[in-house]
Formats: sequence, C-alpha cells, structure tokens
Amino acid sequence: MNVRRDAIFPLFLAALPLLTLACATPSPQRVAPELPARPSREVLANGMRLIIQEQRVSDVVALHLWVGVGGRDEFPAERGFSHFAEHMLFKGTSSRGPGFVDREIEAVGGRTNAGTSWDYPFSYILLPSRRASQGIEILADMVFNSVFDAKELAREREVVFEEMRLGEDNLRNYLGRRLFYLTFRGEPYGHPVLGDRDMLQASGQETLRGYYKRHYVPDNMAMVVVGAVDPAEIRAAVNRAFANKPAQGYRRSVPPAPRPLDDSYREVRPRPERQGSLGLGWLAPALGTQDMFATDLLVHILGGSATSRLHQSLRERQRLVSSVRASYSALQGAGMIGVSALFEPDDIDKVEAAVLAEIKRIQDEGVTQAERDRAVTAAESRHVFQIETAEGRAYAYGMAETLWSLDGELRYLDGIRSVTREQIQAAARRYLGAARSRLALLPADRVR
Amino acid sequence: MRRLAFLALLSLAPAIVPGVWAAEPIQRDRMANGLTVLVRENSTVPVVAASVMVRVGSRWEREDNTGITNLLQHVLVKGTQSRTALQIAEEAEDIGGSISAAGDIDTSEVRGAALARNWRRLLELLADVTLRPTLPESEIEGERRSVQSALKSRADQPFQRAYDAAMERVYGPHAYARPVLGRAPTVAKLDRNALLEHYRTFYRASRSVVSISGDVSAREVFTEVRRLFADMPSGDGAVPERGVSPVSAGGRDLVTHPSAQAQIMVAYLGPGIAHKDYAAMKVLSVAVGGGMAGRLFTELRDKQGLAYSTGALNPSRVDPSVLVAYLGTAPNNADRAEEGMLRELGRMTQERVTPEELSRAKAYLMGLFNLDRRTNARLAWYQGFFEATGVGYDFAERYVRAVEAVTADDVLRVAQAYLTRPAVVSLRPAAR
Repeated sequence: MNVRRDAIFPLFLAALPLLTLACATPSPQRVAPELPARPSREVLANGMRLIIQEQRVSDVVALHLWVGVGGRDEFPAERGFSHFAEHMLFKGTSSRGPGFVDREIEAVGGRTNAGTSWDYPFSYILLPSRRASQGIEILADMVFNSVFDAKELAREREVVFEEMRLGEDNLRNYLGRRLFYLTFRGEPYGHPVLGDRDMLQASGQETLRGYYKRHYVPDNMAMVVVGAVDPAEIRAAVNRAFANKPAQGYRRSVPPAPRPLDDSYREVRPRPERQGSLGLGWLAPALGTQDMFATDLLVHILGGSATSRLHQSLRERQRLVSSVRASYSALQGAGMIGVSALFEPDDIDKVEAAVLAEIKRIQDEGVTQAERDRAVTAAESRHVFQIETAEGRAYAYGMAETLWSLDGELRYLDGIRSVTREQIQAAARRYLGAARSRLALLPADRVR
Repeated sequence: MRRLAFLALLSLAPAIVPGVWAAEPIQRDRMANGLTVLVRENSTVPVVAASVMVRVGSRWEREDNTGITNLLQHVLVKGTQSRTALQIAEEAEDIGGSISAAGDIDTSEVRGAALARNWRRLLELLADVTLRPTLPESEIEGERRSVQSALKSRADQPFQRAYDAAMERVYGPHAYARPVLGRAPTVAKLDRNALLEHYRTFYRASRSVVSISGDVSAREVFTEVRRLFADMPSGDGAVPERGVSPVSAGGRDLVTHPSAQAQIMVAYLGPGIAHKDYAAMKVLSVAVGGGMAGRLFTELRDKQGLAYSTGALNPSRVDPSVLVAYLGTAPNNADRAEEGMLRELGRMTQERVTPEELSRAKAYLMGLFNLDRRTNARLAWYQGFFEATGVGYDFAERYVRAVEAVTADDVLRVAQAYLTRPAVVSLRPAAR
C-alpha cells in the first residue's frame, strides 16, 4: 500500500527509538575502512546543523531534513498543524507546481516522503548519489518556499481526513495511538499527531502558512546526508541552498514531566475486529537519560523477540495470545513502555494476569546472564543490519541531532554494553510498577 | 509491522545506473542430488543472509488442503531431531540473527540472517530445520491456532479482505484464487500425517535452492552446503505440473465491512514472469499506479482529493499474474472513486503514455527494483526466487534490459490485451 506522508503512529514510533539508537557506531574493522567511521557535524552561521556521513554501501544518498517542531509544540488551536504543514511541503513552492517534487525525484528513480511525530517532522529524498546537490536544492525549496495555495490546502485537507480514517481501520495503529492518548491524557504527548478534525477544517491559508514560516527556520533545522558523496560538494550545495536565510533566534520549549498515572487511566472501547486486544502503558525514561539503556534491554527481554519472556510464556507455552510484544518509546520529554497483545476476547483477564506475572517474575528474580547477553547481541546486530541502507543511518542521526545528541547516539552501543543484570532488574522495579494505563479493545457485543 | 512497512519506504533508488550495488556476480553450484546453491559475495557490511527456497506453495494446493504449505513452513522451525523450538530461536538470536519460515504462492522459504562471522552456524541451523524437522504435535496445534487467528485478523482488515475477494473473482477455479493462509475449516483438519506427506513430496533437492548473500567466501560456502545438505532426498517429488489457465470473466462484488474507509479494487489477469509481456506490464502498472506521480495518484488523490492511498500492484507469478488497482476513500466517495479508477484504467487502452510518463515509469520501476535489492536478505531472496521460478538467478539483468526496451506502443498494446474485463470489488460499511 502506498503509505505516504504519515503521521508516525505510536506503535511504529514505539519500535523506532530502539532500532534507531541501535544504528550508531559503524563497525570498526569491516565497513569500508578508508572512509570516516564517524559523521562530521557542523553548524552554519544561521544556526542550521549539517551532518555528513560518507558511506559507500550503495550508490545512493539519503538526504534527511529534520525540523524541531511536532505535535507536542502545538497550541490547542493548532492541533495537527505540524503534520498538515508537512503534507503541504509537497503541494507547490514559488517555483515548482503541486506534485513537481514527486515527479522530479521519481523521474530520476528516487524516492521522497515525510513523516511527523510529536517531536518532529522530517522530509527525505533518496536518490542516486551524483544527484545529491539537486536533492538538497529541492529540500531547501520545500522548507522555505512552499506556497500553501488555498485550493491545494482544501484538497490536501481531505487527504488528511482519509489518513485519519485509514488509521481508524488499522487495529495496530489504533491501539498504539489510543494508548498514548490515554497514558499522556491531556498533556503534550497525549494529543493525536494528526490533530483535530474541526481545527483542521477551520484552518485557513494564512494561519497554516504562518505556522510554517514561524517554525521552519534555519536555526530549527538539521540536514543529514548519508551516502556515496563527496563531503566538500555537499557542504557547498547546502551552503548555496540554506546559508542565505538568516537565523530567527528560535527557542524550543521543553515539555513538562508527565503526570504520574493512577487508576483513572483505564478504558474499554468497542472495535469491529473479532479478536480482543489489550494495551498496557507505563511511564518510562526519556531519550538520552541514563536509564534508557537498561530500559531498552529490559523491554527486549520482556517482549522484544521470539525468545522473550512474554512471547514464550503467553504465546508458546500457554497458547493464550496470537501475538504479544513489549516496546519502548523514548521521546524527547517522556517515555512509554507499552505491552500489547492480541487474543480471543474471553481470555482478556487471563492475558492481563499472565503479562503482570511475567513482569513480577523479572522484578523478583531478575534476568539471566544469557538473556542479558542475547539482548546486547540483538542491539549490536540491529545496528549492523541497519547500516545496510543509507536511510537507516540518516534517520538515526537526524533524530538524535533533533531530539537528543549525535554524540550520545554514536556512543549508544557502549551504553548498552555497560548495562548489568542488576540494572535491568532495577529498571523493571522502577518503571513497571502498579501505576499504569490500561486499554482494552473488544468486539462491540463484549463491551458492557 | 508498520515500522517495517515504513522503513521499506524509506529506501531509495539508483535508477539511472541499474544494479550498481548488486554488481558482485552470483556464483552457482549444482550438487549431485540436484540442489542448487547460489552465493553472492558482498563484503560491504559484516552480515550474512540465507534462504532455503523450495518450489512449494498455494499454487500446488487444492481446495481440500489449502493452507498446508504455510502451516508446514511454520512448524518446520519449531523442532528438529536435536533442537526444541526454543533452542532454535535462542540459537538464532545468539548468532545475532533470526530464523523464520512462511508459506507463499509459487515458492516458499525458510530464511535466516546472522552476523557474518557466524555464517557456519546459520547454515547448520537452516539445514537442521529443513532436513530434520520433527513436526511435533503440540507445535502443530500451536501454529494452527496462530494461523486461525491470522485468518481472523486478515478478514478483519478492509484492504486484505477486499484483496482476497478480488483474487477469488479474478482467478475462479485456479489455485491463485485461494489465500496462502488457507481457509479456516481446512486448516482445522490438517494433521501431522498430511503435513509429513506434503513435506516428503516437496522438500526435494531438485525443487530447492539454497541462496546466500553476505560477507562470506563462495568457495567456503559451497563446501559447507555440500556437506550439510548432502542427504537431502534427490528428485523433484514427481509433482504434476498444473495445467489450468485462469480465465477472468470480470464482474463486480459488493462487500459489506464495518470500516471507516471504503476500499475499491479493480483487478485484471496479466502475464506470468516468463512471458514476453512481463516487462511491459510492469511498466504499465507503474504508469497507472506506481509512486506519487502515477495516473491514479495524480488524478484521484492530487486533483480530486478522493483518496489517501491509491496505486496498483502487479506481483510476479509463474502462472498468469494479476494487476490490481486499489484505492481507499470515504464511503460516500466510493462510487465516484470507482468510476474514476475505471476511467483512468480505460484511458490506458485508448491513449499512449507520454514520453515523460514512460520515462518516469521506467525510472521509478528500476528505482524500486534496485532499492529493494540493497540488503543481503532481499538479495538472497531475489536470486533464489528467480532461480526457483525458472527464469534463472541472473534474471535481474535481463529484466532491466527488457524494461529499458519497452515503448509507449508496447504499453498501449499490453493495456489493450490485458485490461479487458475488470473484476471490481467495492468494500464499504453498511449504509445507515
């Protein structure tokens, strides 16, 4: 299916921080030893950050443009603007008509797309390396010169509404989004990234363009270039395209720490599917905090693979669920550990009890050395597999630079390797306590 | 799996210089028992991917055993003479990788990946599950339940449900009409004896390809595979080739489903992978519904705002394939969208694509193809799939040349030849 310009939904995002963070350090001995093992990072005079990683794994370049504004920065009257604005980047600039960006990139066999989360939007172009400068110019045109034509705006709004409907129909998306909504109820991370239908209906050309002009400024942007490129040429192209825009003194606010959860964070909702699902959510460490590493390993051991505690116990031994997994979403100002399961509706109480029992077992007895080692190997392996593509690395660097720190990203595996069994057990005790959210999705006739 | 879907999209395309990345030649070995081994040495990243691809799948299934291949594949990795299911999974994770299996249509695979330094352990594990599975009763029951649950999930998803309905409508009595997962009543009855017989019939050396890509030495891999797979039974299992050619009469089905969006599918039969029209049909499918500059996307989404998702699929099949145009929209737009889709598809049979459209479609198609062949897992899959489907492991280069040679006249000709009787499925919520 053609999934395009997505709001990045929670479950998708959920898996990402782990995956993403895991892709930092290039393998020292094998990966193109003559190339720099670390990316270069520089700051233009106008505050824009530029990260370049030369990588000759394939003849393509990934160009990522990240902006520091997302769903969590929006005022109530702006709900959904970050995502809507990201769509409009493709709907015409002062020199390119609507759809021209897509056509120009596809005509050279490239790809372009974008995504938005609570913490950021990013747009990317992937194309043959020798066309990198052309791609950089196009990205600059999109982020500075998009016109937000009124007619295009009205059309694209309908597309966003279709995206909302699509999200309603997809159980996994729905569960993830709703669990975030519940866990961070009423707080910056609790609002749907896609926004509010009425607010979007009322949003006019001037309001939306104003939002875009306010936030799409060079000192709120990072450009990441990964691929078979000459860094000097990239530097020149980025300077040509971006350096003439002055800094705006942009300052981004840090979201407040989330409220603790209590018994009110629970709900049961009807769904058209015949199977039931359960989502449990706990507040967890934010991106870049010291506990992030132990939490990553904990969540992997709990429910991140085929040998994980939850998978083995609930699916393989008790045959209670058709799937169960745990995920950790590390955001800029907060984090969430989520456990989700799919099962026969009658079994919901048994499933919940079984999940909690496995958590308690880790809290009481800890994890084995073999489990800890396997989780570290999995993190190392994810990192190597991710650098098979330029975009995997570009995504990781872009997110780290925008939300956390590139340096932290590059030392991610060191952090992972230093975690002990005791720290994993301590994280289980600290974060997987009684304070949690609970979302049950059941067939309509089972919802009282 | 949304993450995977999305990351797959975050991929890219050196279209202009096709196959630059996949430049390392594939080396081929044929063992005495008939097993084909393919190795691509690729030292860019220290990983290895391997696939045991067997000519078995829903193409050879009947109404009374539909789903048997998929169930068998899942149980293969659940126990061998020397390993339990948990030991298999743990060992795969210990070598920094994974092992999994699933049924498909023309071929099915057991696949694995690992850090390159563990390549021997990976091959040993793959050989073990492929050659010495025990198909434990308890694991059959567990996987059966899991398939039943997947069947429910699939029927609950509007897109999948509409797609399956379109396949039934297009293929009628041909095996491609049946879903890979099978049907619930049949899956409920498949027993260990049936699985064992299916395994013995199809898991034959001459039906199988071991395909590897990664930071390994072909010479060493050949030696190791010869040792590990020497006792795979020879021959091709004397499986009768199927003679049924599908004929689509077209038609229209209305499906009621409790969804927020309506899903519309328009499907036609197309050429198989070895057919001379294969490349032209691929270009046609992309001109209609590939990327964001295809006809459906520009006309129905960009200009009319009628959809979020729209495009066309044209999978590669041994027997006649299918072109499926799809679109998701608000229920009250469904009829207008269906008309629009049929109008755009009809236009393809009346007007030539413009030179710009043709060149974009080819660039996009080649971009997609090259993009999808960058990871070792995908490279191993492609070369194994091409070999097992009979077009040869080196098909990629010939395919690229065939696409380059496609003209606007060719696109018009295949449109007129294949886009004749639309099979339409319109899925939408019940009217209130």
